[in-house]
Amino acid sequence: MSFELRPHTADVAVAASGESLGETFAAVADGLAAATCDEIPETGERFSLSVRAEGLEALLFDYLDQLIYERDVRGVLPVANEATVREADGAWVIEASARGVPFADVTARDVKAVTYSEMRVERTDDGWEAYVVLDV
Amino acid sequence: MTTREFDGITLERVREHVWEIPREGDMRVPARVLASESLLEQIGDDKTLQQLKNATHLPGMTGHAVCMPDGHQGYGFPVGGVGATDAKTGCISPGAVGYDINCGVRMMRTNLTYDDVRGHEEELVEALFANVPSGLGGGGIVEGDRDTVEAVLSRGVDWALEEGWAVPDDLEHCEDEGRRPDADPDAVSQKAKDRGKNQLGSLGSGNHFLEVQRVTDVYREDVADAYGLEPDQVVVLIHCGSRGLGHQTCTDYLRKIEKRHGDLLAELPDKELAAAPAGSELAEAYYGAMCACINFAWVNRQLIMHRVRQVFERVFDRSWESMDMHLLYDVAHNIAKKEVHEVGGDPAGGGDADREERELYVHRKGATRAFPAGHPEVPTAYRDVGQPIIIPGSMGAGSYVLRGGEASMDLTFGSTAHGAGRLMSRTQAKNEFWGETVRDELRDQQHVYVKAQSGATVAEEAPGVYKDVDEVVRVSDELGIGDKVARTYPVCNIKG
Repeated sequence: MSFELRPHTADVAVAASGESLGETFAAVADGLAAATCDEIPETGERFSLSVRAEGLEALLFDYLDQLIYERDVRGVLPVANEATVREADGAWVIEASARGVPFADVTARDVKAVTYSEMRVERTDDGWEAYVVLDV
Repeated sequence: MTTREFDGITLERVREHVWEIPREGDMRVPARVLASESLLEQIGDDKTLQQLKNATHLPGMTGHAVCMPDGHQGYGFPVGGVGATDAKTGCISPGAVGYDINCGVRMMRTNLTYDDVRGHEEELVEALFANVPSGLGGGGIVEGDRDTVEAVLSRGVDWALEEGWAVPDDLEHCEDEGRRPDADPDAVSQKAKDRGKNQLGSLGSGNHFLEVQRVTDVYREDVADAYGLEPDQVVVLIHCGSRGLGHQTCTDYLRKIEKRHGDLLAELPDKELAAAPAGSELAEAYYGAMCACINFAWVNRQLIMHRVRQVFERVFDRSWESMDMHLLYDVAHNIAKKEVHEVGGDPAGGGDADREERELYVHRKGATRAFPAGHPEVPTAYRDVGQPIIIPGSMGAGSYVLRGGEASMDLTFGSTAHGAGRLMSRTQAKNEFWGETVRDELRDQQHVYVKAQSGATVAEEAPGVYKDVDEVVRVSDELGIGDKVARTYPVCNIKG
């Protein structure tokens, strides 16, 4: 599982890949954290979240949106993301966890939101790839 | 005819600074780019033109989709984009407003001169940085509970006045007197309110800033007089928006509209353009929620402005009233407003069809409303000279005060540019600039004092990252959409 931050004139994009959908989505979430700050300390407690959506792109959108929401209301930066994705009753579900680094421990900037612009979730020979533009 | 082509998109030169992408395929209207040759080169360099073409697909689009001279690639709708849709038969699109609803700029005057401030720059920049919350998790000026957030969403700056964070003069110099009558706090989700309550009175980060500036040039003395501006005067600029509350509101409605109006979405070339048909339940709900977010952003900037007054009181040991620290004006960058415009025909293009007045949703994403003199929606204080427009430059370049130009209603639905416009990505900026070097050079060579949450932020916002604001303003002035009134130059800058 890996991610890369890609240049974008106004914003920041994350390209990620993994063997499974869960790994790939978690890698995008790690990219979200990397777009927020350069150095991540080893502090913070893990927390869990679960999101359900009607399609894979919608699931990735809602998962990242939920992480941004948790960040603001818990006052922590979600890092070291782990996730599994499954299909259930015609919808998609992600069960995920993250380590929440307290804001006091980190110099971070605000990523405002996840966008649908240019979003891709694709199966490859080795697993999955995803591409997301974040509004900073 | 002169034409230019970028990535297969051909633009025809209509006249100086006006370029048109003719209607083709599923485009509902043509698109226009307002730019000099050099700005057009930069606009054609990324996906701006494709995003502008995509915007013409929105139902009910009227006239042209227009790209301002500072336009650049965003998501869905380009930054620097203006698109007007019919308010009865068209649609409203959260993505064409942007996540940061009513992100904008306000300018506060003072009666201090640059000489009064010189020697105090370090103290001032430190005091502003310490007292105006910024960055991620920096908290707010007001710790908002549920009732506070509700009151802010419904009453805007009226709430700030009642709570002692504003004076009546502030409301008289703000668009809509600082309160959107169409605000519907119930249409804003609890999730959005949760995110907003700890951020009331905060700058945020990224390109948001607070800058102390001095007036260096006055170009139109009569208008500058009406705005209370004169050379060497110190002013304060505040650039921020509706924070997490606005971001969440845009996100919520993008998803709701996607689920409810999938048929309309299927006709659009970019999912980020998701739009609710005019008159639908979601169009009404989003409009009410967006107007509530507009109120939140106004209060956010108002709280910061009032805190700046208190900081100046301590640094200069005088009351803010004695320093005449009053709001000049507050402009929004990301907004959709119901406005009545005369449409049909095309005076700029030589068309002669009958013109009629219609109510439109004017989407301005990274664009500033620019109403000319005499327009009833310009505050009384400025009605004779035109609406003030504030165009911030980078932290190493001048900013400008303009006034709404006579040609703005015909060319841009009463709009102009909103800033210098980014030229390069943050990644490239960090490769090319080192924050501490940028900060030291600004101080030593240009007498600009910068303080930011991190060096990376300074690098990402380095002056070289932005387009030439002088050129953006020149084009706006020559087109007659925003007339140049005065130029300012930074003294102190704090960034989140």
